[in-house]
Amino acid sequence: MPRTTTLDCPGCPPLRALTFDELGLIKVIEARGKQGRAEPKVVERWGDPDSSKCVLAASIDDRKSDPLLAVARRNGMVEVLNPLNGDLRFAVSNASINGVQSEDDPVAGLHLFAKKKSELASRSCTLLTCTTNGNASIRSFEVNKPAADVASTGSSRTWIVGGGGSILCSKVDGSENYFLFGGKRVEMNVWDLDSCAKIWTAKPPPKNSLGIFTPTWFTSATFLSKDDHRKFVAGTNSHEVRLYDISAQRRPVISFDFRETAIKSVAEDLDGYTIYVGNGSGDLASFDIRTGKLLGCFLGKCSGSIRSIARHPEFPVIASCGLDSYLRLWNVKTRQLLSAVHLKQHLTNVLFDSNFADEEAEIAHSAADWPLHEERDEGETPPLKRKKSKEKKGIKKEAEAKSGNKDDERDEPLHEDERDESETPPVKRKKSKEKKGIKKEAEAKSGNKESSEEYGGKKVKSKKSSKRLEM
Amino acid sequence: MGGNDKRKRSESEGGDEQPMEKKREILPSMIKNKEKRSAIHAKLKQQKKLEKRKKAKARDAAEKRALELGEELPAKKIPKTIENTREFDETVCKPDDEELFAGNDADEFSSILKRERTPKILITTCRFHSSRGPDLIKELLSVIPNAHYYKRGTYDLKKIVEFANKKDFTSIIVVHTNRREPDAFVIIGLPTGPTAHFKLSNLVLRKDIKNHGNPTSHEPELVLNNFTTRLGHRIGRSIQSLFPQEPNFPGRRVVTFHNQRDFIFFRHHRYIFEAKETKQTESKGKKTKDAKGESEPQGKVIARLQECGPRFTLKLLSLQHGTFDTKGGEYEWVHKPEMDTSRRRFFL
Repeated sequence: MPRTTTLDCPGCPPLRALTFDELGLIKVIEARGKQGRAEPKVVERWGDPDSSKCVLAASIDDRKSDPLLAVARRNGMVEVLNPLNGDLRFAVSNASINGVQSEDDPVAGLHLFAKKKSELASRSCTLLTCTTNGNASIRSFEVNKPAADVASTGSSRTWIVGGGGSILCSKVDGSENYFLFGGKRVEMNVWDLDSCAKIWTAKPPPKNSLGIFTPTWFTSATFLSKDDHRKFVAGTNSHEVRLYDISAQRRPVISFDFRETAIKSVAEDLDGYTIYVGNGSGDLASFDIRTGKLLGCFLGKCSGSIRSIARHPEFPVIASCGLDSYLRLWNVKTRQLLSAVHLKQHLTNVLFDSNFADEEAEIAHSAADWPLHEERDEGETPPLKRKKSKEKKGIKKEAEAKSGNKDDERDEPLHEDERDESETPPVKRKKSKEKKGIKKEAEAKSGNKESSEEYGGKKVKSKKSSKRLEM
Repeated sequence: MGGNDKRKRSESEGGDEQPMEKKREILPSMIKNKEKRSAIHAKLKQQKKLEKRKKAKARDAAEKRALELGEELPAKKIPKTIENTREFDETVCKPDDEELFAGNDADEFSSILKRERTPKILITTCRFHSSRGPDLIKELLSVIPNAHYYKRGTYDLKKIVEFANKKDFTSIIVVHTNRREPDAFVIIGLPTGPTAHFKLSNLVLRKDIKNHGNPTSHEPELVLNNFTTRLGHRIGRSIQSLFPQEPNFPGRRVVTFHNQRDFIFFRHHRYIFEAKETKQTESKGKKTKDAKGESEPQGKVIARLQECGPRFTLKLLSLQHGTFDTKGGEYEWVHKPEMDTSRRRFFL
């Protein structure tokens, strides 16, 4: 497994993250400490290891009073927990409503509504579940004190969304009125949750120049910003990231490739244009979706498929987790690994609890200046540097181009290139080269042309032979 | 011409440096004159050698004295090796980790290792193979019990996985050959198990081993050494699931997978326990015979090994979640070049 030494991890701001794994365990990771140099640790572990309780999807409603956490398990149960202490509020079986064996039809998407009906009664919660075979349902439950007693309050709606394929990803937008899903042989669909009607379907991109059609296989999706339900990003199995705009067209607006393995998770930033992409071989990168350009990769010896990425709502921090059983926290600005926690199991999901700073009043003070600090320190300086160097290069290149045009000689710009790349040594190098050049010229003049050429020829030959040997 | 110039210059520089040397320490590598440099280097080396000899002498003397006085011997120093100075790894399995055992119970191999399923192995090759490939497969068939060879034909590996699932195989081994030399090894666990992709090197076939033995058809014993981390543990379990869990001990056959610095060495032996037959023991034996008679067994028993079967080295390249799928597969672990920044970092 890849490892990180404690030395090169600067630690992270005070935060609280929940991870879910294949044995059905929920682990709470907290980083407490001053000046944003906290070392995250596993604080609590909820549940007993049992592979049939493998967590497939999780959703959190982290309001200040009475937060809730919904977890969908492989055995068809959907559990609603208290994310603060892990108490089970209630558990419902997904199979009882749909009437289908839950083992064959696992939950693919789960959403716990935060806004809907919150004013109706504080003790009620609404769940949206979507199974792999395409059975979606919205159910609301009365949360009673005894955990065993579950009362489903009337408004239970079930409808079938999938046609033939298997649904792999689903998402509900920020206003919680629209619902998005896609999967293997299922194009991206957007549904209106009020009327339970399909409002938009994507169209597959055309065949490529060789006439090859890549089959539809979406693996992850996310809305680009909280307020806008019209733009969303989807990752495909054929390592493509696509931006869809409902208001523009049915085909992707932008699509670009990322590495060679399937995209496994996509997450959006708060700014509305940066997205984070994780793939099946453990590469994590951020893209500017407006242009489709790679902003940078998150390097940290990460080697297992990235199943889930979460963005912290306040700090410039993202968390990624996956099959290498590490939870990694990254700085968004510098793309530096802040810390990594080994959690022993294959992880499926990670969520942030945004109210954590509020709970710890004294930490909150130190936390408040952290993001600003961050921006000042690390956020601005590296890009500036880069820009400078780029600008310099650009200017030089232009200069080169000009000089090249004027002189119509190819040798001089080349020399200049060498000078540009390394700024201090070139003086010496230049001299020596010039000397050599002079010498060669001298030789050539003195009539050793043939011999020198022969020598050169031999050299080339020997090189070739050595290459062959190496091959 | 240029060379002459250089030599002159360096000589003059060397001349300049000689008085400098007397003033302060100068490393031999800083001297430009080759003759001087090598002379000084040799001198330094000689000094070091002498020092080392002196140290060894002192150590031996201390030991001798301790022996004579009947004191405790001075503690033997443990040499620093790459293995015992390996980078700290938090994923190393600990024997008291309950989550590890829970994970083991839930993983793909547990049904085989709990003897609920008997391992049945399908061995196949890459599309074109010849020369040493078939020989290796012949020998693998004799090493792994209940292994069946199927011709690859032109089938896709995914189709073969489907076929093997239908026929209740528990693993597939693919031997990949490049330029008539086996160079890769894929172990696919079935029906859902992980796919481990190894590089195969240093293959020595049975007939090339001197004094090799011929294996019997008994179920072999399995030795898995040094699979310490979580990843290593998983690889170890996938290898373990290839062999029957109940070895036939009278067969005295051992298959070893020894991991050292991330290289997995495969060896196949027959062993025998024998009474030692050195002259001393014989004389002692005679004495005991005189005293106690024939029935007393001789004190020393040694194990003798005879190597049989192929000998090769594996190195893990990737471990894939699920069965073979290069396009949409998820990896649990992939070897990436940026991991090789330290020689003391090991993953298994």
